Amino acid sequence: MASSLIALMGLSLFLGCACWLFFLWAVRRGEFHDMERPKHRMLDEDEREKWRK
Amino acid sequence: MTAARFPCFHCGAEIPAGALVEERAADATLSFCCHGCHGAYLVISGAGLADFYRRREWRESGLSPQAFQGKYQESYLARFVYQAGSASAIDIIIDGIRCASCVWLNEKIIGRIAGVQEVRVNYATGRARVLFDGSRTSPAQIFSRIDELGYLPRPYTRNAAKEVALNEHKDLLFRFGTAAFLSMQLMAYAFALYAGYFLGIDEQMKNYLQLFSWLVTTPVVFYCGWPFLRGAWRGIVNGSPNMELLIATGALSSYGYSVYATFAGEEVYFETAAMIVTLILIGRLLENAAKRRASSGIERLMELCSGEAQRFKGEELEPVDPSLLRPGDLILVSPGERFPVDGAIAEGATDVDESAATGEPLPLYKQAGDQVIAGSCNLTGAVRVRCEKEVEESFIARVARLVEQAQSRRAPIQRLADRVSGYFVPAVLTLTVATFCWHFSQGGEFGRSLMTALAVVVIACPCALGLATPTAILAGTGAAASAGVIFKGGDILERLSRVTVVVFDKTGTLTCGTPMLVDVQPAQGLTRGEVLALAAAVERGSLHPIAKAVREYAEANGVAYPVGEELVSLAGGGVTGRVAGEAVAVGSVSFLKRTGAGGVPERVESPEGGIVVGVARRGRYCGALVLKDRIREDAPALVSYFKRGGIGTLLFSGDRQECTEKAALAAGIDKAWGELSPAEKAAKIERLREEGGTVLMVGDGINDAPALSAADVGCAVAGGTDIAMETSDLVLAKPDLERLAEAHRMARRTMAVVRQNLAWAFLYNVVGVPLAMTGRLTPVYAAAAMALSSVCVVGNSLKLMRTRNG
Repeated sequence: MASSLIALMGLSLFLGCACWLFFLWAVRRGEFHDMERPKHRMLDEDEREKWRK
Repeated sequence: MTAARFPCFHCGAEIPAGALVEERAADATLSFCCHGCHGAYLVISGAGLADFYRRREWRESGLSPQAFQGKYQESYLARFVYQAGSASAIDIIIDGIRCASCVWLNEKIIGRIAGVQEVRVNYATGRARVLFDGSRTSPAQIFSRIDELGYLPRPYTRNAAKEVALNEHKDLLFRFGTAAFLSMQLMAYAFALYAGYFLGIDEQMKNYLQLFSWLVTTPVVFYCGWPFLRGAWRGIVNGSPNMELLIATGALSSYGYSVYATFAGEEVYFETAAMIVTLILIGRLLENAAKRRASSGIERLMELCSGEAQRFKGEELEPVDPSLLRPGDLILVSPGERFPVDGAIAEGATDVDESAATGEPLPLYKQAGDQVIAGSCNLTGAVRVRCEKEVEESFIARVARLVEQAQSRRAPIQRLADRVSGYFVPAVLTLTVATFCWHFSQGGEFGRSLMTALAVVVIACPCALGLATPTAILAGTGAAASAGVIFKGGDILERLSRVTVVVFDKTGTLTCGTPMLVDVQPAQGLTRGEVLALAAAVERGSLHPIAKAVREYAEANGVAYPVGEELVSLAGGGVTGRVAGEAVAVGSVSFLKRTGAGGVPERVESPEGGIVVGVARRGRYCGALVLKDRIREDAPALVSYFKRGGIGTLLFSGDRQECTEKAALAAGIDKAWGELSPAEKAAKIERLREEGGTVLMVGDGINDAPALSAADVGCAVAGGTDIAMETSDLVLAKPDLERLAEAHRMARRTMAVVRQNLAWAFLYNVVGVPLAMTGRLTPVYAAAAMALSSVCVVGNSLKLMRTRNG
């Protein structure tokens, strides 16, 4: 019982950490710099090629 | 070939006689006003981006696309290139970005230059970052491509101070993100522990949960909370206890207590420590964002003026940095450029867009001898300007300084919070030490006495106190936002609720800002309809506000007007054209005289502040149209709302005293002051504040910016200049003054809730601290009390959202 709980807690912590690292990556890349443009970007037709990067 | 009936397909300007350029497209013949526009069209459609013409919006008149003739020298631009990984990078400010299509177009076009690897245009700042391969393309190529599109690129210099501010913001975001993530994990463990306390829990399991809690709380307190710990330490060193010391005490004591409790097998309070840090970080983040927004408008304008100036050296031109310009220097300002310094035109004539500086929507005609303001944009002709001020003393720099001063002065509220904690912290610490000494001297065991003493700090820590204000303010600002009122910070609600004097700006705030046709005065032998039809025919297609007003009036009154041909708008406030084969001129009286029209009267009867537009046909005067700005319909209601609440009302304006007084009378305002400069407005508000008033300033132009900042609360009305919106504390999202009254009511209600919350939190401390001191407060009751107190506070705050809808 205890060991399975600890395993689950470890797992949740691990998953949380993954999200957190994703957040850190996003901040570092400047994803929160411009909150206006992305919502217009999705309307551009030929965006697909851009996502290669 | 007949004259074109349609405006230029690319720039939308009317096509001057004999200038038509045509292009056969798939399904239609397109007309252009010049080869420049035609070329721009070819560039755009050649790149497969003809969609641009369907996406764009033509609400704003701007720079004419052929305006930019600047040459971009490799040697000059090379200075701004820096290395980013394996690629070269350059930051470019693109002047002229107004909408999402501009961003789209620039990204596409730049992205297609061979050698460019990545382009990102920031919509908010108008700045582009271009990564390119230095061996395949050059900055000059990128610049001239942007230039071909009709935008004006300028290299952006990375300013050290701005860089620091940006990094600080990033740092705060890191800390907050980390704190939020860890606190969420922590709450899961905390809930398990709560359940365990009531329902029973395996001793070993409890210990594991506590250890996990400890693991996730440690970084929250010591990494995320580091700014507070550092601030608190500085407070101790300087001998001045501050708010940060209070936060640090709360977080550290509950953390320390919990660590001890983990090993002593007691209940832990890790979540208290983590929540304090997380909540306060949110507050910091919001405050920072508001502050950055406040100065970004002026910064951007200053960036736009900061390019190179072309100075005359004899008859030769030399490029110099604007900061090297001295009074007396002669410079050349080409169309599309902004004036770098204040000065007077020495040679040439042009239309100048001063809207950024004065909020005046109409371009002004300026000729030799006229003053120009730094930051305003030269629209139509190249002029030589005699510098009169240095950059640092020019209009934009002065406004920026005034705004900065006013912002930095806004400390009193913070000082008050610091003063309160100056008493609170020592008092709590004293009580803690006293509790420990008393219990220990009464023969208490050392560990137990320490626990009891720490319980006092934990209970007294400002958790409910910390929640009391932010939750009410979040609910209040949220409800206000859904009603179209945007508060830029919580303290603004507080100040707005205490306002004693309201100061209005006249043009654009109390009045509509755009003129309306109020009267038509035909000359002998003509009817009103005929004069109106002539004017409307010639003003057809023009975006000028006066032209729009004339057309609207004609349409509203069912006057059919013919189609004017060979329409030419001339610098200096006039339009000429042909209606049914006869030459017609429409414009100011002096313009008509310049065109040589006969019979123009010396004076046209017009109301105070009216604009007179004359009409002439075949060189004979036919009549005049009178336009006038008018008071907003909802203005008197708003003024009387404030008066009922015992709040004084004043009107400030740069306009003449009589006009100002008349407008004040119409709106029911107590007192009016005319002929005020921006600095005088700010100084007058300063004086009102010194006399003990809390001042609300309502305005819309950049000339109001210093006043908006100087007032306790600055309110900008939507539709005004961006800078006014950015320097103000409170923005009305729709130009509807009624909302200001709503905002004031909302602020008062919110503050009432804050007071109730604070009273509750204080009551909780009054009851809890003595209980903790006697050692009677067992941890779980403390936890329950804390939760209850928080629920009460939050529930009370949420009431604000409901009253709005109900």
